[in-house]
Amino acid sequence: MRFTLSEHDRAVLDAVAERLIPADDTGPGAREAKVVDYIERSLADGYEEHRDTYTAGLAALSREGFGELSPDGQDAILAELERQGDAFFELVRRHAIEGMFGDPAWGGNADRIGWDLLGYPGPRHVWTEAEQELEVEHRVEGHR
Amino acid sequence: MSVVALEAGPRRCPEEMTLDEIRNDVRNWLSEPKARAEVPTWRESSAEASSLAPWPMLTVNAVGGTTIHYDAVSPRLLPWNFASRSLTVERYGVGAVPRGSTLVDWPLSYDELEPYYDLVERAIGVGGTAAANPFEGPRSGEYPLGPLRRSGWNRWMHGAARDLGWHPYPAPTALNSEPYNGNPECTYCGFCASNGCYRAAKGSTDATVIRRAESTGRLTIEIGARVTRIEVDGEGRVTGVTYVSDGRELFQPAAALLLGTFVYENTRLLLLSTSTAYPHGLSNNHGQVGKHYMAHATPAVYGVFPGRRLNLWSGPWSQATCSDDWNGDNFDHTGLGFVGGGMLTAAHEAKPIALAGGPVPPGVPRFGSGWKSWLHANARSIGSAGAQLESLPYEQNVLDLDPAVVDPYGLPVVRVTHRVGESDRRGYAYLSHKLDLWLREAGASETWSADGIQLDPRHAYGGTRMGDDPDASVVDRVGFSHECPNLGVIGASTFPTTGGHNPTLTLQALAWRTAEHLVTNWSTIGSRV
Repeated sequence: MRFTLSEHDRAVLDAVAERLIPADDTGPGAREAKVVDYIERSLADGYEEHRDTYTAGLAALSREGFGELSPDGQDAILAELERQGDAFFELVRRHAIEGMFGDPAWGGNADRIGWDLLGYPGPRHVWTEAEQELEVEHRVEGHR
Repeated sequence: MSVVALEAGPRRCPEEMTLDEIRNDVRNWLSEPKARAEVPTWRESSAEASSLAPWPMLTVNAVGGTTIHYDAVSPRLLPWNFASRSLTVERYGVGAVPRGSTLVDWPLSYDELEPYYDLVERAIGVGGTAAANPFEGPRSGEYPLGPLRRSGWNRWMHGAARDLGWHPYPAPTALNSEPYNGNPECTYCGFCASNGCYRAAKGSTDATVIRRAESTGRLTIEIGARVTRIEVDGEGRVTGVTYVSDGRELFQPAAALLLGTFVYENTRLLLLSTSTAYPHGLSNNHGQVGKHYMAHATPAVYGVFPGRRLNLWSGPWSQATCSDDWNGDNFDHTGLGFVGGGMLTAAHEAKPIALAGGPVPPGVPRFGSGWKSWLHANARSIGSAGAQLESLPYEQNVLDLDPAVVDPYGLPVVRVTHRVGESDRRGYAYLSHKLDLWLREAGASETWSADGIQLDPRHAYGGTRMGDDPDASVVDRVGFSHECPNLGVIGASTFPTTGGHNPTLTLQALAWRTAEHLVTNWSTIGSRV
């Protein structure tokens, strides 16, 4: 079933995701990994039951002017939601992790940004005995 | 004799089994179409309203069932597990059994089940090293296969356990370490749990025993057949089942019925099948259906090994190092305040979403640059060890039908009422401490755990307990109903206790024994009087 976030909600969600997993000196973050694409696609197909939570959660953030705040101001709001055990915060965090570190086929983890962050070389059907030794580095073929 | 098997799900095939954590682990695609629509609800006491369970609950609907997505760790229970009440009382006194616990001995011994363990290990292909675990019961035969290849992590954690004076052993597993019975060997992809095998190297029943049973011509499998009721005659004998297929309601007659639908659905179908002979549900005239429910508590400890590459995203979960030193009564419980213990496991298969979404050490934030840089620095170097804690049966931990939640057929789902006992809490803390010791001995510089007690109710037990006393159990020592002569029940729902190991091998051995009993006694059980 077709579902898209409004342009405004999408921008707020993108800002949230980027504060959860920001671009910094360890590499690009959620924005470049297209985490919001993953979440929007999931809300359209698979996570239909979470649409209302997103709509309400993003509306609440908009009322606080989340999109216009400084990064520090945004972090303070997110930290407060986390402290309260807010269900929307936990849901977005979970979905952002999926969109950052899941298979790129689902719309996120663009250019394997999330996997590179972890040093994960990506799925393989076969791991050899030598590759399963400690300290062995797994190179990613044909990537970057 | 001819056998008809009704399966609510489809058939699955290796070609469908892709290496995709989102589809497999996050979205549980194998739980379509049935399990997701009838997830058991949860509450901690009978005074509360039920709600969504805070734990993983989803099972698999397909030919082969939950063995398609299990991690295939296949240890036998310890001989002690079959007599844990009497042996606990004998060694520590009757006060050692917690108040409110319905702990009992099994109605059969390890020695009685041993030949069936041996049969199942050969039928599905379990690999292991027979002498490696000194706590294992006597074996009539060797494992038919060796264990999975040892990895750097396996050897490292093996060494750390030895240094602690423990007795580590390679996890017994139903993954083929070499080709077996026409199926190929495991290639260590590490997408094994929550997924079927892409090359049929897992001894799931669809790839092994069911395939061979179908080749006899005496087994017919109906897929997409959703059983809604078990029917009985005026004398209380099963006459067949009502099921829905393609929207039509059909009846499958049966001279005898084996009910094997997982712990939750076994109880549910019995309670839904009310009749004149069984007004409170089939085989429930003694009020025992749904009682003595248990679920494994699963302590896990994470550790970071600074600067090291552990390569744990390679390899399946069951490519693991285990220890039974803190399982059963393999250690002195004097003064500890709990019964039993559990197998400790250091495994592979650390997939990226699970790794990044896991708990963080104290002082590390859960979002933002602080978290991200911690992940970046440590993701390759995080190892973990976990345990399956024997969890006792208690009077108040039960399954029944939820009066408030129904499935798409309008039938109530199962409601779990479960509170972790004080004894189990002490066992959880004790095993967590051992896991911590193990990781620290291996060189972890820092260790941490998730907050609170973690449960895995996919390791579920009870509801149709096996026993000799109809006032305290639903089925007898061979798995047949005390009340309904041509009804057998298969699954961990019959276990009187959980044990501290994975349940599947034991329930398969019991299933084989129940089926053998039916065949041997067909003239009496299957005859229409």
